[in-house]
Amino acid sequence: MNEEEPFYHNWRVLLLVFAILGSIAAITVSYSNGQFNIGSNLKYGLDLDGGSWLQVQLQGAVTQIDADPGKIVQIGFSKLLDDPNVKIEEVSAGSVSFMTSKATTQKTIDSFGFGTSTVSSAPDGGTRVKLQTNKYFLIQKYLRDSLNADVKLILGSPGRPPTYEIRKAVTEDSLNDILKPVDGKVLPKTFEERVTPETRDETAKRLADKLNPISFKQITITPIGDNYLLIDLPGVSIEEARKLSLTPGKFEIRIQVKGNETDHVLYGDQIVGVGVPQKEKGDAWGVSFELNDEGAKALRDAAIQYGAVTNPGAHYLSMYLDDKLVFDAPLASDLAKNIQNIPVKNMVATTGAGNVGQEKAKELQLHLRAGALPVHVKEVGSGEVPAPLGQKFKEQVAIAGLIALILVAIVVALRYKQPNIVIPMLSTSFSEVIIILGFAVLFGLQLDLATIAGIIAVIGTGVDHLIIITDEVLAGGALPPDKVYKSRISKAFAIIFAAAATVLVAMLPLILFMDSNALRGFAEITIAGVLIGVFIARPAYAVIIQGMLVEEPDRKFVDED
Amino acid sequence: MNLINEKVIETYVKNFTFKQMLILPAILLLLSLSILVYTTITTGAPVELGMEFKGGTAIIFDSAKTPDQLKEEYQKYPGVEVRQYSVGDRKILEFSPMDPSLKDELVNKVKSEFTNVEIRDMGEQFSKSLQRQALRAIVISFVFMAIVIFIIYRTFVPSIAVVISAFADIAFAAAMTDVFGIYLSLGTVAALLMLIGYSVDTDILLTTRLLRRKGDLITKTKDAMVTGLTMTTTALAALVAMFFVSSGLVTSFTRIDIIRDISVVLIFGLIADMINTWMTNVGILRWYIGKTQQAEKRIEKPKKKGQRA
Repeated sequence: MNEEEPFYHNWRVLLLVFAILGSIAAITVSYSNGQFNIGSNLKYGLDLDGGSWLQVQLQGAVTQIDADPGKIVQIGFSKLLDDPNVKIEEVSAGSVSFMTSKATTQKTIDSFGFGTSTVSSAPDGGTRVKLQTNKYFLIQKYLRDSLNADVKLILGSPGRPPTYEIRKAVTEDSLNDILKPVDGKVLPKTFEERVTPETRDETAKRLADKLNPISFKQITITPIGDNYLLIDLPGVSIEEARKLSLTPGKFEIRIQVKGNETDHVLYGDQIVGVGVPQKEKGDAWGVSFELNDEGAKALRDAAIQYGAVTNPGAHYLSMYLDDKLVFDAPLASDLAKNIQNIPVKNMVATTGAGNVGQEKAKELQLHLRAGALPVHVKEVGSGEVPAPLGQKFKEQVAIAGLIALILVAIVVALRYKQPNIVIPMLSTSFSEVIIILGFAVLFGLQLDLATIAGIIAVIGTGVDHLIIITDEVLAGGALPPDKVYKSRISKAFAIIFAAAATVLVAMLPLILFMDSNALRGFAEITIAGVLIGVFIARPAYAVIIQGMLVEEPDRKFVDED
Repeated sequence: MNLINEKVIETYVKNFTFKQMLILPAILLLLSLSILVYTTITTGAPVELGMEFKGGTAIIFDSAKTPDQLKEEYQKYPGVEVRQYSVGDRKILEFSPMDPSLKDELVNKVKSEFTNVEIRDMGEQFSKSLQRQALRAIVISFVFMAIVIFIIYRTFVPSIAVVISAFADIAFAAAMTDVFGIYLSLGTVAALLMLIGYSVDTDILLTTRLLRRKGDLITKTKDAMVTGLTMTTTALAALVAMFFVSSGLVTSFTRIDIIRDISVVLIFGLIADMINTWMTNVGILRWYIGKTQQAEKRIEKPKKKGQRA
């Protein structure tokens, strides 16, 4: 033993002391509004605090797709122009050329949103059209139109095919059916029922924006894997939780008939895409949005019926969110003219110039989107624990922890009988609990029933490892000289590291493969606990126990090596 | 009072041959596997699936009515089953998956009639995917554990002995959940995984002590057993405390499923672990050490003669 240095100067012990103090501070001290407060910073889960949870699945798919761009254009324009004789002439990387049998204008072609066109008349009264477009865009457009849903194109690295995110529940088979007319198919082994992490996070954010203003307590939304969100609603009943989270806001567009009289045009479910606020012509800000076929037709019918196409100024379009007016404006004159000829799907709501216009545009964008989340959410699991029951659970687990501690103390006391072993052992074990709790506060882990079970289980393994150290050190009855001691400690740690490694790898699949937040919490706290024990608490215990035991210089010790 | 009687341990280690040691664990393993196979044949899975893995709705509440009365009252909802949940008034109603509007009606009805209503609901598809994930997690976790063991010892027999012991522990724990009517839940899955990592602790202690230490085999085994049994006893002590408070069998404590499930599985697993570490693993290791020593002697003898010359 190193005589000049008492054990409590050893860096391992100091590290443990530092970790304990740090954890106590993390658990009890908080800082807000310029002053420190003392109180518990522990965050409890819903099963202890009371409230409801909902686990929702984000409905969507990510996949790679191939199809014939010529066929897409042919089928698309045959239908839109009501012309069965659309003929594809040439398909190149950046354009598609085709001929129609009826006369048509550039404006009409452009309004379909396939790309910008150049038009020349062809013999026999037809039109020759050259579309500036590309295959990836055409596939995206085709999917959008046939699924009536938003489809996002995610370009791959150069030379690799792009990925499509379909923001609607589809199966691989249904997609293949849809793609059959355009000689397309889902590329094998690329179809996954999930959304991109960006879409998942955006959905989570919008749900939070929608839910937080209505709740008294902080609602948390945790992503689980790529296609689930867990919504925790403290203090909210399950019925209300369902209503709040699963029903989208009602967005409606109405048209002015006369004076204050308006008529319904369409609901938010017919808006399939919303752009970001952008500067439009001149200095005015605007938000672009896209209607589906049905919506575009409804708008055209209403505009024609009430005369908005000829006199837009007298027949304003107004937008309502949950029956509250959020925007109104007349049809732009060129749009009005266009709408008279064909249904228009893409349009822009202009909100005005300058900062005011920009702010309004941002607000309108939110409103347009509040009607629908980027993807639909489907409830896959839910639960509710009433607050008094949660309180009872909390008391019970506290009692369980206390009884566990007492029983463990009795067992080690019976086995070792020496207070200078039993007390350091129990204090080390107890300090592990404190550090785990401190860790939970610092890393924002919440304490729920599963994590508390994890903590109690970790304490069990922790004491086991302290027993391994103690028995290894005491082999032969009393404290051996320093050199022998060191070799024994390293043997004990060989066992401990191996044992800890098996617990760590056994827990890993819970984090990697299970879409359950409770099990993840359990695994996370267990892994954290094992690491804290192995790297902080147990090395310090090895030093402390050496300092606590009395050396017997007369005894002969044999190093087994 | 002594926690562990070293004399008894010594007698056991000295007098039992490895074949005798393997009899009891072999019988237990066969029994566990038969139970699991039987359950697979009768229910389609080695352990009976609980609501979290089958889908459906569970509602727990206080009511003085008997399960039969409640079953009668809730007859119109699909797959209704009623059980006493814990001692006292707590009851549990379980239903198979139903459509949302019916579910809303059910929840409203229960909430208006009873107090302290806890609700859990799992979609059918999601619970099926959880089922697959749980199975995969258990298999992968076991494989990971085995890989770590093989990396640590790098010799076949001692490593496989640890892996066999762990397998027997898990088989026993799973079979006992069947016997005692505990359904597979998120809690039991967590516990089975914990058991995979945790039950090998004493095996590692034993194997390391016997293979990497010098000295008399009997003494080494005895010492390892004293340490190992202390370890398992402390862990059992903590788990018994958890079970006591969460089982719902003790008045004034309400049942807490996840804690009860975790503690029950770990308790059975650790009981099996005592048998499998100190009979199965000790048995196999002894046989292995005996064999390698004989082999070493045969090789070493001529060498030693050469050195002396």
